[in-house]
Amino acid sequence: MASAATPLLAVDDARRLAETFFEREVRPVLVNRCHECHSGTKQKGGLRVDHIGYLTAGGDTGPALVAGKPEESALIEAVRHTNEDFQMPPYKKLPDAEIAILEKWIKMGAPWPEDAAKKVVVTEGGFTQEQRGYWFFQPVAKAPPPQAGGTWVRNDIDRFIAEKRDALKLTPAAEADRHELVRRVYFDLHGLPPTRQQIDAFVNDKDPRAYEKLVNELLASPRYGERWAQHWLDLVRYAESDGYNQDAYRPFAWPYRDYVIRSFNDDKPYDQFVREQLAGDEIAPDDPDVLIATAFLRHPVYEYNLRDVRGQWDLILTDMTDTAGELFLGLSMGCARCHNHKFDPILQKDYYRLRAFFTPVHWRDDLKLVTPAEKQAFDEQQAKWEAATAAIRVKMDALTKPQIDSRVNVWRASFTEDLQAMTFKPADQRDALEKQLGGLCERQLDFARASFDPMKELKSDEAKAEYKALKAELGKFDHLKPKPLPEAFVASDAGPEAPSNLLKTRRGDQEMEPGFLSIVDPNPPKLTPTKTSTGRRTALAEWITRADNQLSTRVIVNRVWQYHFGRGIVSSASEFGTLGEKPTHPELLDHLTTKFVAGGWRFKALHREIMLSATYRQTARREPDETAAKVDPSNRLLWRFNPRRLDAEQVRDAMLAVSGELDLTAGGTASDGNGTRRAIYTRKKRNSPNDLLLALDMPAGFTSIAERQSTTTPTQALQLLNGDWVLARARRLASQMKSVDDVWLTVLGRQPTDKERATADAFIKRRVGMVKAASASTEVAESNDPGMGFHFNSAHERLLVQSSEKEGDDFTVEAIVKLDSVDVNAELRTLVSRWDGGKASLESFGWSIDVTGQKSRYKPRNILMQLVGEDENANIGYQVVASDIHVEVGCRYHLVVRVAGARHSITFTVRDLDTPGAAVQSAVVPMDRLSKLSQGASPIVLGGLSKRTPTRQWDGQIEALRIVAGHAADNALNTDSEKWNAGLFIWRAADPPNSQFAWSGADPKEDDPLLKAMTGLCQVLLTSNQFFYLH
Amino acid sequence: MPCHRYDRPASRREFLQTAGGGFGAVALAALMGEQTQAAPFRLPQRAARAKSVIFLFMEGGPSHLDTFDYKPLLNKLAGQSLPASFKTPLTAAGEAKSPLLECKRTWKQHGQGGLWISDWFPHVAGHADDLAVIRSCASSGINHAGGVCSMNTGSLFGGRPSLGAWASYGLGTENRNLPAFVVIKDSEATVVNGVRNWGAGFMPAVYQGVEFHSDGTPIKYLDNPKGVDRREQRDKLDLLGALDRDFNASRASNTELEARIRGFELAYQMQAEAPGAVDLSGETALTKKLYGMDHAETATFGRNCLLARRLVESGVRFVQLYSGAGSKWDSHDGIEAKHSKLCHSVDKPIAGLLTDLKARGLLDETLVIWGGEFGRTPMSEKGDGRDHNPTGFTLWMAGGGVQGGQAYGSTDDLGLYAVEDRLHVHDIHATILHLLGIDHTRLIYHHMGRPERIDQNEGHPYTKLLGA
Repeated sequence: MASAATPLLAVDDARRLAETFFEREVRPVLVNRCHECHSGTKQKGGLRVDHIGYLTAGGDTGPALVAGKPEESALIEAVRHTNEDFQMPPYKKLPDAEIAILEKWIKMGAPWPEDAAKKVVVTEGGFTQEQRGYWFFQPVAKAPPPQAGGTWVRNDIDRFIAEKRDALKLTPAAEADRHELVRRVYFDLHGLPPTRQQIDAFVNDKDPRAYEKLVNELLASPRYGERWAQHWLDLVRYAESDGYNQDAYRPFAWPYRDYVIRSFNDDKPYDQFVREQLAGDEIAPDDPDVLIATAFLRHPVYEYNLRDVRGQWDLILTDMTDTAGELFLGLSMGCARCHNHKFDPILQKDYYRLRAFFTPVHWRDDLKLVTPAEKQAFDEQQAKWEAATAAIRVKMDALTKPQIDSRVNVWRASFTEDLQAMTFKPADQRDALEKQLGGLCERQLDFARASFDPMKELKSDEAKAEYKALKAELGKFDHLKPKPLPEAFVASDAGPEAPSNLLKTRRGDQEMEPGFLSIVDPNPPKLTPTKTSTGRRTALAEWITRADNQLSTRVIVNRVWQYHFGRGIVSSASEFGTLGEKPTHPELLDHLTTKFVAGGWRFKALHREIMLSATYRQTARREPDETAAKVDPSNRLLWRFNPRRLDAEQVRDAMLAVSGELDLTAGGTASDGNGTRRAIYTRKKRNSPNDLLLALDMPAGFTSIAERQSTTTPTQALQLLNGDWVLARARRLASQMKSVDDVWLTVLGRQPTDKERATADAFIKRRVGMVKAASASTEVAESNDPGMGFHFNSAHERLLVQSSEKEGDDFTVEAIVKLDSVDVNAELRTLVSRWDGGKASLESFGWSIDVTGQKSRYKPRNILMQLVGEDENANIGYQVVASDIHVEVGCRYHLVVRVAGARHSITFTVRDLDTPGAAVQSAVVPMDRLSKLSQGASPIVLGGLSKRTPTRQWDGQIEALRIVAGHAADNALNTDSEKWNAGLFIWRAADPPNSQFAWSGADPKEDDPLLKAMTGLCQVLLTSNQFFYLH
Repeated sequence: MPCHRYDRPASRREFLQTAGGGFGAVALAALMGEQTQAAPFRLPQRAARAKSVIFLFMEGGPSHLDTFDYKPLLNKLAGQSLPASFKTPLTAAGEAKSPLLECKRTWKQHGQGGLWISDWFPHVAGHADDLAVIRSCASSGINHAGGVCSMNTGSLFGGRPSLGAWASYGLGTENRNLPAFVVIKDSEATVVNGVRNWGAGFMPAVYQGVEFHSDGTPIKYLDNPKGVDRREQRDKLDLLGALDRDFNASRASNTELEARIRGFELAYQMQAEAPGAVDLSGETALTKKLYGMDHAETATFGRNCLLARRLVESGVRFVQLYSGAGSKWDSHDGIEAKHSKLCHSVDKPIAGLLTDLKARGLLDETLVIWGGEFGRTPMSEKGDGRDHNPTGFTLWMAGGGVQGGQAYGSTDDLGLYAVEDRLHVHDIHATILHLLGIDHTRLIYHHMGRPERIDQNEGHPYTKLLGA
């Protein structure tokens, strides 16, 4: 035992006396009264009392005992039961005599007998020697590479690897052949398979430096950043939506994704990369390329519409703190939020010190991603527009203000009173916390403000007319208006003063200043506040990127190693504490770390070093021999290259690459995951992730992810077998293939073996035979009777329209129709559609015009429209818009449906042509903000959906039908279809056949048998283990 | 609240290595109905009767004050403000100061235990002696997103595994051809937060809930692609199997490869078996009637309840049925009309389920849970509605070994705060696992170095439910 903190009595006699007192009086009290909850098995409140070291180090609420000072000792406070919130033992107070014993003992200096068997050395700051000695907290060592490995060695990495491996009598694997290597390197650096030409070029390159050239060439390609940025995006839980209930899309998050890709491609030094993300606003506020990096601080889950604003902000700060700990320091700090860490020397205070760096953060939506000069030019132009339009806008505001104000006030009243008060304070008088919380409230009030639609909600028609006129007047000045500037999804500090950062414990609240991990660096950081910022995050960034920071430097080097090998030198890449794994090659980690930092923190040099090693070039195609199976079955010592399954994005991009569809458009706004751009450029909606990527273990973006999982689930298999997206790639691929060999070369980059060729040939032969036999037996003679009706189970079920022009989101459908029946249940009769009936994918975007059945909840014979498109949050939206105009069976009608997507309304107009003088029925029905209605995969179909669906079959006549883009004026319409003269198409039953229209009595003809069999083969190969694994 | 002690965890890697290398193997073990650990977390056999769970989730927050928690004082004080002796609650719509709203229901005591149940649940009341009504539930989520996420995962925000995922992680499935965790909604509407309510969070995807559609194709991607029959599917799988086996032969150390072949075969089996699990044509008219399937208002939930019984019979571990998907139980105004309709739509189906389970001897091993993400306030909103109340609300359980016929815990005299035996969501989760025979403090999943538990180290099982 120690130490200066617990001085023993010098004289032997006195010591003996003290020990006797301790053993006879004190220890029994501790054992009987405290051990149950505070010793080896349980440590409530983080406290043990079975050794003086633990007592002086204390628990969650600080030291339990100050030797010589009972009045300052928490232990005494607790047993006296004077503090209502801090009483030990709980419920039952100790007899006064026992309390007196403890008091006396502490006053004596709390002597504790030497006990060699239970020696606990507690040093300064309350840490044990063992904790201080933990490898991760030691400075990075300059380890000279060992003399090992002989001629196998290509660089220093191999010497470290060889030493450990040889010690266990393991032998290295042979070098991978060039086919294996080229595939590995392309997937590793680009996330894409090599093309046939790229394989050939490398395999046939006679240059002895061919491999080195390949690595350099791939590192220089922009595809490199697109692959490696994904690793970083996983770590920072990047997503493009808020992730709570509404899951609002974050339309300006993508510039951060491009920033990360750019940083990797530019080989930006890691220290700079970290500084920009933590404190770009403080170090280069005027450089938009740096400012965007602070989007790093915007990734927490959020929802604008939460009344508990305080609680939400607290969770956001927790999220930032936890992520920073795991991401940069390799320590899961989360445990220390509520108590000192159970297993690592991370104090609860340390957690709050780290949190203090983030407490001043303010989410900004008022900044733009432009240079000051661009901003100035904008402001000048904007001022001109404002001057010219001031009078008009004053009048417009006067019209809307009373209603908007009352709406805002109703919303405001739902906040607690303190929050309401914050929103009333002028911005320049708010303190930091008021800016933060008030700002979160303002977002809700802004929403209330923006939800007011004057053209619909102004109370009188005069007011509406006046507003409309003013708006038109305002529009005349649009030429003065500057082009809007790109929005900045960034953060800054709320001001130079930080808000309070309280550590709340049972013994009271304590204000926590920023600071680092006590065990590593107990000194307070040097802060340099500016006029607008506390400078805290710059200080944190400086500390994290110090060359001698033993935590952050090892963590990032280990991550790079992990992404290359599939496992880090420390395999728990975000947890280097005692709960994580021990490093397999600590000296190698330190060697690489030293070199990385000395070389300017550059990733590309590190990639090169790793990839050029003999260790990396080993084949994965080696089974464990007897020794390996016994001493290292999981290949921790790298006696082969680790076999790996491709990541979700690699699988998806590889499928597109081999089918020849990959769209390499780089950067910019994100695209739908069902499209053909690289996965990194697809939308990341936390609550509605892409099905395929999710099934292949893409993280959802809620928390920092250091390592991808590789799961095998039946739902994953179902999707690969039955999903449209994979099948579409297979079909596309098959259409280009001339032979089985062709398929193998394209998908796997090699010739099939004889056995594979034979298996594939047999499959194709069998399938072609099957299909032919099946089609022969079901051949149905097609009726030639033209007829004018659309009827189920006839040759004239549906009419497919070929039209290269799309109707867009604003269009008019005009038709002359007669219905013979409606469905006896609730099904619909579909007059015309551009839809396959689906609601789940981009391909299903579309619409249909239908008549309801007898049991419909919209009442029978109601004309309605169904729409599937993109809503304002970039979600897939589906809506039914019912006209409540009911038609009769057997009656001839002139029907006009005008879809005005831009104005969010649909107008239905129906005229009964059989009843002379019948009134025209008309209805204007609002629709949701849906767009891209004509961008699905379906053609326009009369009489049903694009996918043959008997329950949606029209039953009756469609005498004539046309679609006109835009809003067709009344005078352009005509009940006599012969007078129609414009439209995307005009169908008239009486017209002679036209190649633009094709009757269909069934689904479109199946592929020819051979193509269908080839599609099957391609799909199988795209889902095979060989395609999914680098092994 | 302080953490409890947990054993120094064995490393996840070590576990994976002993499990055969890689998540593929773990996932497979779960699929095959094998437990993924040596079950150090099992409680002694006597504690556990429940093998499966049917969680009837009334989404939007059903009013405990008008159903299972009788508060005569509420009607006495109706129209007045909350008495000053009550702490002012933080509510979603800010209705702390609105006048108290009377309960218009007629209350009676039911069963031998004399449980108070309102006239909104006449059929369920017939099972009063099976019901363990917990009147002292509490949650941290004041709005739907936080509340539903909390009741399902224990956390206000996404990212953690759901209760069903923990149950499947702990116990695996008993039918490898069906998912262990199935979710069925009563409409096409989206449950607040979407699929992450039954997500696996940081656990492997194999533990996530699979959504079944109550008619048509039960699982997404279950049907063969258009124009592909079962024979062609078989041919494709045979080809895939042949190529994969060839490839795997010289790579036997990589167990994921073999797991993948079996994954595809299971998918094929599931294609054959899942439609049968939702095919009700074999059920008698009497059974359907029992569940209320003969009346339009009760047909949808009745059908789902019957499906739940069939799934549990087929070995599915955890079934969650949503009533009012898309927060339809939410009743900030017009609670009379809204709740009348919804209570009616679930009352007979739930009673039918309990009757049917009992008749088949399944009730003892099936834990049926009824509740929502929170209850409703005694204060009114908009004159005739009630705001969210997460500080005190009711859940009930039946079957699975719980002692029925009585109420547990209580709220204050106006039903605003839980006062006696308060059970936070974490405690509720710990209790449900306890009833499944799991010591929740030992059911640990290692994530980012942290030993994670369902209750974030804060819950205690409420063993009184077992009569203990």
